[in-house]
Order: sequence, then structure tokens, then C-alpha cells
Amino acid sequence: MGTIVEGKGLSKSFGGLTAVKKIDFYLEEGEIVGLIGPNGAGKTTLFNLVSGIFHPDEGKLFLNGRDITELRPFEICRLGIGRTFQIVRPFLKMSCLENVMVGIIGRNDRNRGRAEIGREAEDLLKFVGLDGFEGTIAGNLTLIQKKRLEMARALATEPRAILLDEVLAGLNPSEILQALALIETIRSKLKMTIFWIEHVMGAIMKASDRIIVLDQGEKIKEGKPEEIVSDPRVIGAYLGETDA
Amino acid sequence: MNVKKFWIPVVFIILAIFPPFFLSQYWLHVMIISLFYVMMASSWNLIAGFTGQVSFAHAAFSGIGAYVSGMLAVYLGLSPWLGILVGMGVAALLGLGLGYLCIRMGGIYLSLTTLGFSEILRIIITNEDRWTRGTMGLQVPGFFTEYSKASYYYLFLIIAILLLIVIYWIIHSEMGLTFRAVLNDELAASSSGINTIQVRILAFTISSAMAGLAGGLYGHYLMLITPDIPSLGQMFLVLAMAVIGGMGSFVGPILGSFLLEILSEYIRIYGEYHVLIFGLVALSVARFAPEGVIGILGKKWESVWAR
Repeated sequence: MGTIVEGKGLSKSFGGLTAVKKIDFYLEEGEIVGLIGPNGAGKTTLFNLVSGIFHPDEGKLFLNGRDITELRPFEICRLGIGRTFQIVRPFLKMSCLENVMVGIIGRNDRNRGRAEIGREAEDLLKFVGLDGFEGTIAGNLTLIQKKRLEMARALATEPRAILLDEVLAGLNPSEILQALALIETIRSKLKMTIFWIEHVMGAIMKASDRIIVLDQGEKIKEGKPEEIVSDPRVIGAYLGETDA
Repeated sequence: MNVKKFWIPVVFIILAIFPPFFLSQYWLHVMIISLFYVMMASSWNLIAGFTGQVSFAHAAFSGIGAYVSGMLAVYLGLSPWLGILVGMGVAALLGLGLGYLCIRMGGIYLSLTTLGFSEILRIIITNEDRWTRGTMGLQVPGFFTEYSKASYYYLFLIIAILLLIVIYWIIHSEMGLTFRAVLNDELAASSSGINTIQVRILAFTISSAMAGLAGGLYGHYLMLITPDIPSLGQMFLVLAMAVIGGMGSFVGPILGSFLLEILSEYIRIYGEYHVLIFGLVALSVARFAPEGVIGILGKKWESVWAR
């Protein structure tokens, strides 16, 4: 096991607002790391930095020791970091099969026919539990189905690490259990590193190996789930008692 | 590809062989012009309908094809058959350059830049009359030593079919999937490993090359090239054909081209107002029936073969 993704001193401001302040973090291979914090803590901004949608004002990002700080999203994706979005973004006017096929094409490893890509996409849809929806237009799916589809598309790019932005938000309890089972399968079967943002505390505490807590753009705590829940600063950040 | 999907175009192509046997010279001319617009609207649809980049330089690129090929024929005596290929190449190169410059801007900025490019080109052509003969028009040779509308009809038909086969192939290939992914959600496409800028420039270049080819053909058919070819009036006509026919579908722009070209023959007596009328109709279609006539004709039919 080694470090797969590493961020050093990452900062990002939007105008006068510092969304992310000097954050250091790392992801070990095969780890599930949770990223929590109150609204506006900078979680999604950190994801956007890691996936190349924004570039940090300061700091460096590494993937397997390679500097990826200035790379564009598609390059970072091809090097092995996949992601889903907080507000789901499947290709709404394309079929489920086509959505996943785009991810496979995105890998940019040539020498495969369309038929083969189609078969692989079918397998991935089956993997996330969307078999039978191949021809369905993504815009007609329910929220959980869209989230599953987004996961399939991210998996199709064959990431080594996958960033999941609130995959459980908006799901009912039984759907949460299904999604958690899927995340566990991704880790155990596909041996991927998972970095996820979640507001459903019970779920993230149970499933993560390690948790990073952000508050107002800064990392205030990092550790095993049991250390996090009892930390006064974390509780303070959530309940708004930091100044007390 | 299922049997039905295969036979419908074959039937249309076989039917398309017969018009020269019974149509008058005038209506044959209308058919030839319609085929030119089929090439224009379908290739414009490739960028506007499939990658969502509303370019206003499409007529300009057809003008580049026409003038390059025409001037090569007039000043260097190059055969139009070779000339249209050179014209297409020049249009592709300029498309690549313009694409590279303005595609990163995207959206309305791309539209404005291409609009500007189109006007600049038209003004240059109009004013550099020593070479282009300006608004007088440049007289160029035709493709055939013996002029016959039927030969031109078949030439346009064959090239339009070839162009449509290429377009059909593109939109059903992996490239087409990436086009549509960029259209649907550029950020998500980028995060899925798609080099969105490369995809958009590629679409722009291919589409410009096709416009260049269509323009070259058109010029040598009319045998008189004027700044009307790269004009915005022409551009809006092409836009209206694609939008009214149905953007983002394969058949839509083909249908729209025939529909509007034939229709404009009937309302020609009202002068240039037909472009205005088509523009208004196109606006209403874009607002109330974004999938165009094809969309109105029914999803069922579309699912059979339009995509």
C-alpha cells in the first residue's frame, strides 16, 4: 500500500472568499476516506481541485508521485481519478448505455470496436444495478438511478481513485443501504480508493477508514471515525460553537 | 442496423434518380439548390445540433470554398474538380484556426466571433474587387464542358449522399458520442476523460470543410460567384432550415432544406422578406418545438431511423 493521491498546501479563493485554505491530505491505495464538514466548508471545492475543474492558487497535487496540479479534468481522469457530482450530471439526453460508453471512450485506450465498448458498458450498468435500462434516456431516470448511472460512468474511466460527492443525499433509507453496498463492492471487488463527501453521518462513520473534517476552508481534524465523533472541535464546527 | 433502417434511405436514393426525367429545367434547378442546402444545413447541424456550438461562419466557409476554387480556376486554370478539394482544404484550415481561436470562449462569444469573421470575410471579398470582382461577381467555369442541369443534379446528388453518409457515420461513431456528451454537459464530459476542446475544434473543422466543399460545388454550378454566398442572409437561411427541420437529428436538416427552398420559390415574389419570415418561423420553432418538424412528425417515426 502506498499513497496514491496527495495534496500539499492547497489553497483556492474566489474573489475575497477563501474556499480552501492550505489543506494537506493524502489517500492511501484501497482506502475509504470520508470528507465532512458544515455547508460551505470547502469540501466540493477540494474535489474540484483534485479533479482539475479548478486549479489551486497555491499548493501542489500529486497522483502516484506525479505532479497533476495544472492538468485539465480530462487528463486527470485519464490518469486515474474519477468523480461523481453533488448535483448529478449524467448526459440527460443520451441513453444509459451511451452515458457509460462515453466514460469508456474517455479512457482513450484505442483498438476496441464499438461493439466491445457496448458490451463493457452493459456489464458496468449491470454492476451498478441498472441492467434493463440500457436504452432508457438518462433524463427519465429517478434520482438514485441517475446516481448509479453517474457511478457507472465514473467507473467506466477505470479510475484508481474515485471521488464521490454526496452520493447518498436525497436517498431514502433503503436506497442508502443499496448505495453503501455498492460502494463497498467498489472497494472490495475493484480495489479502488474512495474519497467521499457525505452528510449522512451514520453511513460515513461506519464505512470510512479515515475521516477528514473541514471547516471554513481549513482542515480541523483528521483521524479514525471514532476519534472524530468525540472531538470537541468537530462537534463545535457542526453546532456553531467554535468561538466558545 | 435493422432492415427497415437500411431500406428507407435506399428507397429515397432510388427515387432520387428519376427527377431529371420529368422535372422542368426550372424545378431541376430548385432541386440542385435544395441539395446544396442539404449539404449546408446538415453539416451546420453537426456543430450546432450535435456539439451545441452555434456558428455563424458556416456560409462564410462555403464562400471560402467557392472563391478559392473559383479563383484557382480563373487565374491558374486549375480544374474545378481539383479546385473544390483545395477549397475544402482551405476552409478546413481556416475552420481549424478560427476554432482554435474562439472555441475556448464558447457559447454566445463563439457566435459573436464567427458572426464577426463572416462579416469581415464578406467585406474583404466585396472590396478586393481586383481579385474577386466584388459585387459584380466572378465568372468561373463549370464542371462539365456541355452544360446540362441533369449532370449537375446527379453530381450534387452523389456528393450530398456521400456527405450524408459521412455525417451519419460520424454521429453514430464514438466521435459522435463524444460530440453529444459535450453538448449535454461539458463539465461532466471533461470529468469523464473527454478532451472537450479537442472535440469541439474537431467538429468545427469537419463542419467547415463540408461547407467549403458545398460552396465550391455551388460556385461552379452557378458559374458566377458573388459575395452573396458568404453573406449572413445565406447563413440565416441555412440556420432556419436546420432549426425548422429539426436540429440534432439526422433527417431534420435534410427535410428542412427541401421544405424551405421549395417554399421560398413560391414566396420569392415578395423579395428578400422570405429570409425574415423564415427567421421568425425558426425562432418560434426553437421556442415551441425545439425538435423541429421532425420532432412534430412523431417520436415513433424518429425512433425508427432518424437517429
